[in-house]
Amino acid sequence: MKKRKNGGISTTLATATCALLGTTPVSPVCAQEIDKWDFDTSLLYYGEDNERVQDASVAVLATRNFVDDRYLALGLTVDALTGATPSGAITQPVAQTFTRPSGKSTYTTPANELPLDDTFRDTRVAMTANWQQPLGRLYTFNAGASASKEFDYTHIGLNARIARDFNQRNTTISAGIALARDDIDAVGGAPVPLSPMLDVGDLANRMTTQSKDVFDVVVGVSQVLGRNTVMQLNYSYSDASGYLTDPYKIISVVDGITGNVVTRPLTPGIDGPSHEFLFESRPDDRVKQSFYGQVKHFMHGKVLDASYRYMSDDWEIESHTLDLRLRWPLGDEHYLEPHLRYYTQTEADFYTVSLVDGQMLPAYASNDYRLGNFDGITAGVKYGWKTGNGHDLSVRLELYQQRGDIPANLLVGNQAGTVSYPDLDAVIAQFSYRF
Amino acid sequence: MARWKTCVASLLAIACSTGCTSLGVEPWDRDILAKDEMQLVTDPLEVATDDHIYFSKEASSGGRGFGGGGCGCN
Repeated sequence: MKKRKNGGISTTLATATCALLGTTPVSPVCAQEIDKWDFDTSLLYYGEDNERVQDASVAVLATRNFVDDRYLALGLTVDALTGATPSGAITQPVAQTFTRPSGKSTYTTPANELPLDDTFRDTRVAMTANWQQPLGRLYTFNAGASASKEFDYTHIGLNARIARDFNQRNTTISAGIALARDDIDAVGGAPVPLSPMLDVGDLANRMTTQSKDVFDVVVGVSQVLGRNTVMQLNYSYSDASGYLTDPYKIISVVDGITGNVVTRPLTPGIDGPSHEFLFESRPDDRVKQSFYGQVKHFMHGKVLDASYRYMSDDWEIESHTLDLRLRWPLGDEHYLEPHLRYYTQTEADFYTVSLVDGQMLPAYASNDYRLGNFDGITAGVKYGWKTGNGHDLSVRLELYQQRGDIPANLLVGNQAGTVSYPDLDAVIAQFSYRF
Repeated sequence: MARWKTCVASLLAIACSTGCTSLGVEPWDRDILAKDEMQLVTDPLEVATDDHIYFSKEASSGGRGFGGGGCGCN
């Protein structure tokens, strides 16, 4: 059957079909012509201050639409990462020397500066593939696969989702599962948790490839609330098991009175760490649960997109995320979209700043700032417009800020005056082109 | 755990029962809901980008969809 390209009955029918489906999550592909490719492309720059992480990324999502609401979506993302990241060691009034993760050399952090691991340099390639099709009149089935590769990390995942429409397609209930297997080939080998940082060339405490398995379940309901409003509610359960430790994060061993990092005797003729540092340790299982709600409301041409997420896990982390976007049309072809996001989380129960010399080691300990107590704020704006040939362009610029607090009971001796949460300021700039 | 299960079950039950009975619109009233900007996800690449950034920088992930992962992000 031949289809007319523009303004034909097929386009009208496709639009009407999508209108009836209404709440299908990936429906931007819907209200367009069928039986053709659509491309979403983007260039991203993410940059943190103080020479921390910088990421340049290019992404393409190609969607092949078929008749009967079937589609195939293929995604490719390439990230180039550079920069430095807090190692977990604390700031000291003297210079500190560390053995690099490879175990082949050392680097030194000047006095009164936060120790950053500057060996962070990687390229990440990620691919996704998803197939969606109706099953009968009321069901929609989606199956997908994902894979990514970094120098020290490999991911493979499968996912499937089924949805059923009710109530004249005003209500859609969905359920999905995802399975993933990740392998970690840490540079120099993953260290034995809570083992000490050793001299250059000494890899006695390193292990071979580690892995983790992740099992996700998401159930949800989307509901049309009125002619101008639609909402989504989701419950998610995620169980990760295996090697969940960060192989590059360390913890300073400190004097119980002063809070200063304990110095380490150097082996003559061999480079090595100047102070005592242990590699971090995390539990080998983590269960996360989250509740997510989203509302989209149309107000005289403007569209409010509001969402909230509550998450808690068995590492005793709790978080709240509030996200607000307002799409503000400027004529028929242009729009502005301010964006505000607020995030707050409590620290993991094994989060610590340092370990006291001579005391019995806990089973788990980490000074990864991402497991600490902090707030995050994102503020920015997107400007979008449609070209003469109907393609969509947009640019967005956002600032992301993290501000944290270290609980007073985790600070030892003079750390109250010298150690603080490694606050973060980052820029997110993205250019998108859809055709 | 029990509190979570009760909360989620209640919310889903309320949403479903009310949705299945009285909420919604007739098919011919979906002109606004059919607009691109009214879809729950309007820009899949932007969503994926944000999920990846915040997964890398925060202890939470997922909610809208699967929790994701697949990176040893620093």
